Amino acid sequence: MEPIRKRIAALGAALTLLCAGCTAATKAPEAPPAVDETAWETPEELYAKALEEDVLIVYTVSTRVTATKEAFEKAYPGLCVEVRDLRSPDLVDAVEKNHNEGLSACDVVLCNDNSGEFKARLVDTGIVVPYLPADIAAHRKGVADGEASFVYEAELLFYNGDRYDACPIDNLWALTEERWAGRVYMPNPLRSFSTYAFCGATFAHGDELAAAYRDYAGEALAVPEGSSAAEVFWERAARNIVFTNSSDEVAEALGNGDADFGVMVSSKLRLRGVGYALEPVWRLNPFAGCRTSFAAMLAADAKNVSCAKLFLRFLLGEADGTGDGYRPFCTAGTWSVRDDVPDGTETPLERIDLIVPDQDELIARRAEMERFWTETIRANATGQT
Amino acid sequence: MRKRLPLGILLLILLFTEGCAATARPLPLRVAIPDSENVQNFRTNYYVNWLEEKTGLALEFVTIRQSEGAEYLDALFASDADVDAVLFGDGFSIGEDELRRYAGAGELHARDNGSFYYANYGAGTRSGPGQILWINCDWLETLGLAIPRTTDELRAVLEAFRDGDPNGNGVADEIPLLGAVDDYAYSPTELLLEAFVYNDPYRSRLVLSGTRAECVAAGDEFREGLAYCAALCRDGLLDARAYSCRLSQLAELVNSPENLVGAFTTDSISSVIYPGNPEIMARYMHVAPLTGPHGVQNALYVEREPAVGAIIPARSTRKDDAERLLDTMLSEEASLIARYGEQGVDWAFSDGSDVSVSGGVSTIVTKNYLWNTPQNKHLSGIGPMWVRAEYLEGVTWNGVNSDAEYIDARARTSCRAFLPAAPGSAGRDEALSGFADGYIREFVTGERDIGSDTEWNRFVSELQRLARR
Repeated sequence: MEPIRKRIAALGAALTLLCAGCTAATKAPEAPPAVDETAWETPEELYAKALEEDVLIVYTVSTRVTATKEAFEKAYPGLCVEVRDLRSPDLVDAVEKNHNEGLSACDVVLCNDNSGEFKARLVDTGIVVPYLPADIAAHRKGVADGEASFVYEAELLFYNGDRYDACPIDNLWALTEERWAGRVYMPNPLRSFSTYAFCGATFAHGDELAAAYRDYAGEALAVPEGSSAAEVFWERAARNIVFTNSSDEVAEALGNGDADFGVMVSSKLRLRGVGYALEPVWRLNPFAGCRTSFAAMLAADAKNVSCAKLFLRFLLGEADGTGDGYRPFCTAGTWSVRDDVPDGTETPLERIDLIVPDQDELIARRAEMERFWTETIRANATGQT
Repeated sequence: MRKRLPLGILLLILLFTEGCAATARPLPLRVAIPDSENVQNFRTNYYVNWLEEKTGLALEFVTIRQSEGAEYLDALFASDADVDAVLFGDGFSIGEDELRRYAGAGELHARDNGSFYYANYGAGTRSGPGQILWINCDWLETLGLAIPRTTDELRAVLEAFRDGDPNGNGVADEIPLLGAVDDYAYSPTELLLEAFVYNDPYRSRLVLSGTRAECVAAGDEFREGLAYCAALCRDGLLDARAYSCRLSQLAELVNSPENLVGAFTTDSISSVIYPGNPEIMARYMHVAPLTGPHGVQNALYVEREPAVGAIIPARSTRKDDAERLLDTMLSEEASLIARYGEQGVDWAFSDGSDVSVSGGVSTIVTKNYLWNTPQNKHLSGIGPMWVRAEYLEGVTWNGVNSDAEYIDARARTSCRAFLPAAPGSAGRDEALSGFADGYIREFVTGERDIGSDTEWNRFVSELQRLARR
């Protein structure tokens, strides 16, 4: 009896949405679709088709999408979403492997897209494709990192707010001082895309690092031949860094007092809500982190295309930005890409000392970066407990 | 008819030849093995094939349908079933004490070292922090509360859980703090007492003072801790079902889509949260050891004994072959396959540039993470194995945010600083534990008045008598 009732409820909801959708469809702008003509299907049409499909599979690097899933299942009775939460490199590996093996194992992909790895292996190869309906695209702020980016974040330096009333340093080079040995936590850049993006991007900002060193030490930075200001900085800083697997560990170390500083994704700022003493460093000479962003993409091999599109629309906040799907991502430490949805963070991105990674350069430097970080971590992580 | 005759002869010849070949083939070793959802096919399993090649034995698996080890062994020894080895694991288990009964009855083959079983070290929880408090962070966020750090803060949080309708259904159906009776790890009382005095229920709460064993349960700090727990229980904050609920019931409530439970304790999150449930997994966060009213902050340290991995029935006619198989399974090469799969394909030794789940330098880098997933590379922890701690602690994270091993490792990290400097060496006294456990339950649930000096003195006096024995 229960399934029949559910089906009737789903059908009723579908019909209601279908009627509402007719109106919405007539109001849709006439601009060409972002991907193809299928982008023009109304939510109601997508819902009707999605009811015929299987469980939607979402690969994500953020557990926040579980809140979107719950809201989506409530908004569209009869549809089910399964979330698989993976770390960025593992997500890219899994999606690529699925594709190479001809498996339709995933429909929607949510990933940090700043290291270049995501772009090079999944976007440029067409394994994932953007899906951005024009009615939503019309509300995007300026030029984003990619047309599928749906929220801005930062890979940012934080300090322990329990221990310090204000940030105890004003120059990034201060992190190389011996007094911070074992007190700075950072995810392994070879296992975290956003950390890799930050670390990699510093290599393109050597002049700023050298200038900041002069401000800090009162003398010019001595850079050995064949090296760079960024290499010198990271080689020194790594002596103090405790490398972790993820930003969660960094937040926990700051929260329990094991760390004085931590580099992590800014969205962890939401953990202040449960009492973690995480204080972001907005201003730092020469920079406090790098801007990052999240991409929401459709898997080219998606089995449940209509449901995937409907879910992406929902995730992106629907046409007017009021959809419940976007809300879980508009938390402290994030910035909206929509002009009709306020940022989750009071401080605007423009007032934070951030650099912007150049993905193509990061892709080009990948081998060099891997060599450098493998050596650096091997040399410094040995003493970690 | 004339045409059929040569064909019949040919068939007879073929059957005869096949028969000769069959008799030349070694008889398979019959191995009883529990069914596992995580092993796709025992016959084509990589590890099984590797074992057959390594030992030269052909293995024939007999599937065990019982869920309790003793239930199966009773049935096995009561029948004349022909089984050469019995493997345990993946939920099908038996304790060393229970095995003694079968050994005493002469049902088990004794190894050269006198032991009656082959151990499994590597599949289960390892030594280290033995109890973690997990709290519903969705409820904390909904109510605008911070993760509690002290026993006072915990009480305030539990009150808010009870009164604030954090699951938002308009019904007062929230269970602020729940436990189960299956093991001390699931008892909130045992964890809360750590904020008053170091409390090791597995060792009967005994500590050695010189050559004398003293029971910490007789101390004033312990009484104060019990009074704290009793007040929680009286006020509906610590659910009294913690003293009657089975683990399966606790798990059912915690995994309920109705979002009913505020906090619980375990040694591993995977004991309570069902696998493949990232939403529920994301709902709970670990709480670092709480600080008590006098600044006391402890984490329980447990040393896990290896589990029983396999036995050989005394009546097996292939005991030497069974020993060869099980000894091979205990080798390092076999154990690493049994834990991580095929070397070079599913895992590799680390070059030291990765971070392990527990925060140190990794020793094993996983390429395909197979543990707790349906696969065909190993037996999902079934059978004997001996994986060195440096590998267990040094494995890399698989990158899955809801991976229980990683979540547990982070929780254990938060306990490290509060573990006892020198874990107690006193053993367990069943009579003492049984007596203390009963009284503790009665004090906390209000059956006895923890405020009554008469009741308390009676408790202490008997404790001391038992401890002195």
